[in-house]
Amino acid sequence: MKNIFLIILFVFFIPAQLVMASAEREINIYKNIRCLVCQGQSLNDSNSDFAVDLKRVIKKKIINKESDKEIYKYLTERYGDWILFNPPLKINTLLLWALPFLFVLMGGFLIYQKYLFLDKKHQN
Amino acid sequence: MKKQFKIPLLVFVTVIFFVIFYYSLKANNKNNPNIMLNKPLPVIELTSLVNTNLKQELPLINRDKYYLINIWSSWCVPCRDEHPILMKLKDKIKIYGINYKDKKSNATSFLNKLGNPFYFTGSDKDGSVSIEIGAYGIPETYVVNSQGLIIFKHVGPLNKKIYLRISEIIK
Repeated sequence: MKNIFLIILFVFFIPAQLVMASAEREINIYKNIRCLVCQGQSLNDSNSDFAVDLKRVIKKKIINKESDKEIYKYLTERYGDWILFNPPLKINTLLLWALPFLFVLMGGFLIYQKYLFLDKKHQN
Repeated sequence: MKKQFKIPLLVFVTVIFFVIFYYSLKANNKNNPNIMLNKPLPVIELTSLVNTNLKQELPLINRDKYYLINIWSSWCVPCRDEHPILMKLKDKIKIYGINYKDKKSNATSFLNKLGNPFYFTGSDKDGSVSIEIGAYGIPETYVVNSQGLIIFKHVGPLNKKIYLRISEIIK
């Protein structure tokens, strides 16, 4: 009985998990792609012809076991980096990626300065 | 930090940010439909609209000096508007048509009624061929040279100005 239960588990549960993971991956990719003929919508939010066609192409690529990186490369080669909501790290986007870290460092430095100042005041 | 450095540093940082944001605001729309310009046309296989056994692979290397690719559909009103220009262009350049998400009967009656400017018409039933060449929608027109490079691309219906530009390119 126990074995039958385990077989049922393997036959139904694991494939279902795989399908769910694949669907989740698909939606995550759609959410990171801009619908280029819509106003500020992702592929996931749009039902325009462009979005429907692109979703079909991406789905085929997922079935063909292409990686996310390969899919994004395919799209940026044809439509440019603008198609991605998450811009890739390149020389012209370096500042965009580095600024948050610079702010954190600057903030940390200012807090440290203030702390030293208060500490010295306290000692005096 | 010494007080004498604080104000110049603050001014410096403010100026840097002002310059960055000012140029970002002035930057053109980053969606550039010409991203495929001067790049090789991706390999596509067109299946004939009238005879599914007939195939045509593009790009054609070292065959014609130039050829034109036009994405169209019978249900697309701007395609109907640009059709007379395609009819004028067909005497100057070979035109390969990509019939986008259309019914075969509607497409053939469109061509029978308005004339057929296409040297070969391929069917793109699910829009995947159009995506392969980086299209946004229909109508869209590409001029490809003998090396297989896209040397001109126009998104939207052809007009007199574009007709003259294409004529100039292929002269």
